[in-house]
Amino acid sequence: MKISKRKINKEGSTSMNLRIDRQTLLLLIIFFALVLGFGIFEDGFLTQRSIFSMAFQLPEIGLLSYAMMLPYLVGGINLSINASSNLSALIGAFFLLKFLPLLNLPDIPALQIGGVFVVAILVGIAAGLFNGILVGFINAPPILATLASMAFFTGISVGLTKGSTLTGFPQSISLISNTSVMGFPTPFLIFIGVTILLIILLNKSSFGFKLRLLGTNPVASQFTGIENKKIIMLYFVFSGILSAIAGILIMSRTMSASYQYGIRTYVLLTILINVLAGIAAGSGKVINVFITVFILQVISTGFHMLLIGMRGSSFFKDFVWGLLLIFIFIVNYFTRNKGTEKVELLGLFRKGKSMNE
Amino acid sequence: MVKNNMLKRIFETTEFVTFTIIVVLSVIIGSINPAFYSWGMLFDILRASIVFSIMAFGLLPVIISGGVDISFVAIAAMSSYATHMYLLRIGYEGGILLYYLIACSIGILAGLINGFLVTRFDLLIFNVSLAMYTMWYGFVRFFIGSERNHNLPAGVANFYSRFLLIVENQFTGVTGLHVSVLFVLGIGVTIALLLRYTTLGRGIYAMGGSRDVAIRCGFNIKTITFFVMMLMGGIASFAGVTFNLLSRFFDPTIFLGQELDVIAAIILGGASLSGGRGSVIGSFMGVIVIQMIHRALILTGIPVEWQDLMVGILLVFFISFPFIRDSFKKLTLKSSLQKP
Repeated sequence: MKISKRKINKEGSTSMNLRIDRQTLLLLIIFFALVLGFGIFEDGFLTQRSIFSMAFQLPEIGLLSYAMMLPYLVGGINLSINASSNLSALIGAFFLLKFLPLLNLPDIPALQIGGVFVVAILVGIAAGLFNGILVGFINAPPILATLASMAFFTGISVGLTKGSTLTGFPQSISLISNTSVMGFPTPFLIFIGVTILLIILLNKSSFGFKLRLLGTNPVASQFTGIENKKIIMLYFVFSGILSAIAGILIMSRTMSASYQYGIRTYVLLTILINVLAGIAAGSGKVINVFITVFILQVISTGFHMLLIGMRGSSFFKDFVWGLLLIFIFIVNYFTRNKGTEKVELLGLFRKGKSMNE
Repeated sequence: MVKNNMLKRIFETTEFVTFTIIVVLSVIIGSINPAFYSWGMLFDILRASIVFSIMAFGLLPVIISGGVDISFVAIAAMSSYATHMYLLRIGYEGGILLYYLIACSIGILAGLINGFLVTRFDLLIFNVSLAMYTMWYGFVRFFIGSERNHNLPAGVANFYSRFLLIVENQFTGVTGLHVSVLFVLGIGVTIALLLRYTTLGRGIYAMGGSRDVAIRCGFNIKTITFFVMMLMGGIASFAGVTFNLLSRFFDPTIFLGQELDVIAAIILGGASLSGGRGSVIGSFMGVIVIQMIHRALILTGIPVEWQDLMVGILLVFFISFPFIRDSFKKLTLKSSLQKP
């Protein structure tokens, strides 16, 4: 009785007081240590130009990380995020190049940008439904289902473009990534906006609650009366939408659309970000993913500046990312043990803890 | 009756589904293009499957034990490239044996690191392997070299054309059965025997089936984890050297992005990602299916740009197959219940 009361208090007050989750704290410390370190050793690091370029680069991978995070919260995976983001961008490009000229409309940037967003997001939703059917209704293991849909989406992209890169969009498309509002690059603001929406979706909506429950125990969630299949469909659809937005940002930055953008690297990078952020089946915070994206970007930019001109310098960051991941695992291992000791001393959640382990 | 049950059990396995698909695919491809039925084509598919089969055999015990690893491709790339650069520097001119020995030792050591991290810090194999994947690919390209190297020592330069059998055919030209098919056979049989007839092998299955039960049965989970990780590292490096020797260059980025294909092949071959199930022969068939799909598309004359889509469609069909079979079974069950 006492336990349940305290639990309610604790959860009800998270939004009010400044309790910081252990993983968030660790990530913040690492982030500030890195910024400080690079700031001391590299003169150009803390300049407006380099900060601006970082804020410009990270939204794409950040949005894709969110697209990976939703299935990851359920203990699943979505390997097709990059394929569906490229497909969305490609269909958006076709809309611009083939469909819009047919209508003979005047050159209105808002119409072009809006149209691309609508078309790309519709494609993202379709891709999500496809994944959702494979995983939810056909019961295929997510890793295999999304591997197949990755091949499927890439296949459509390759087939439609015959392997070529589409270019020659109206100039208005570059506005998405080239403008800044109140000193912030627009993609960065989109990223912040999506982050806030996602936090609300996961913490304040019934979908977020059901998603976590499904991740913790699918059988229990089924018996609670949650339609698991519907939730599976929904999170894949959200994942598809997020990938589509990332696809538009990539398209706007490069002013091109191709099936092969980030094809071999982005998927694993987003998994790496989610694991670093401590996302696991049933638990995880959007803000941790947010900070982790910054950490990886700082490492990437920082070492790029430090090692400039060295042979293979761009690969050093991969090496550091791997080491950082292991470092976080080890720190978590030791603090986790201390944490449970403390919890046991207080006599709180003993039962819940042992069930989770 | 017993025999009937056994037959039924065989029909229900994923291995059987995979086998059926191989047969169906070969009938379809063969009826479109009879060139498919030739020794040359068989040897070609086998040659393309050699490296992936070896890697799949190495990864299989890890998957059976309930873990998913992706670092094996990075270990393979790193160890074979490091070995090659080292041997080039000391002016080695000998044969393939030293290549395999050094690379496999590095691979086993890398596996040992994985095993240590997993057991000491109580981590998921997948998470550790993700870190090691990024780390090794970064390590080899930053510290050792990032460029493809075409200088092969005299002793290994001709390995790519060492055939057991050579056939000539009007469609495929001269093709041969490469010696390294024997490696596949040797490693495959060893792993199959190990999994089936040794206590360690049964422990791997037990651990994948249920960790707690395996511990209570007296299996040492840590030893098993160390063993499967080291085995995987060693065999992956073996595959890495073989791949580089067959393609006549050494490249630090081999297999980058292909780890999922190997995992998919193993799952197509009847293994379960939650552990406890899987077989060597199934994994081999899984690899063959994927290679056959690629060959099939060339032979049936589908335009190149639509081939990736066909691979996707076939994969989607393949993973839906058990579902279609089950719903079909439910339908027949319903109708048989309604009849009397």
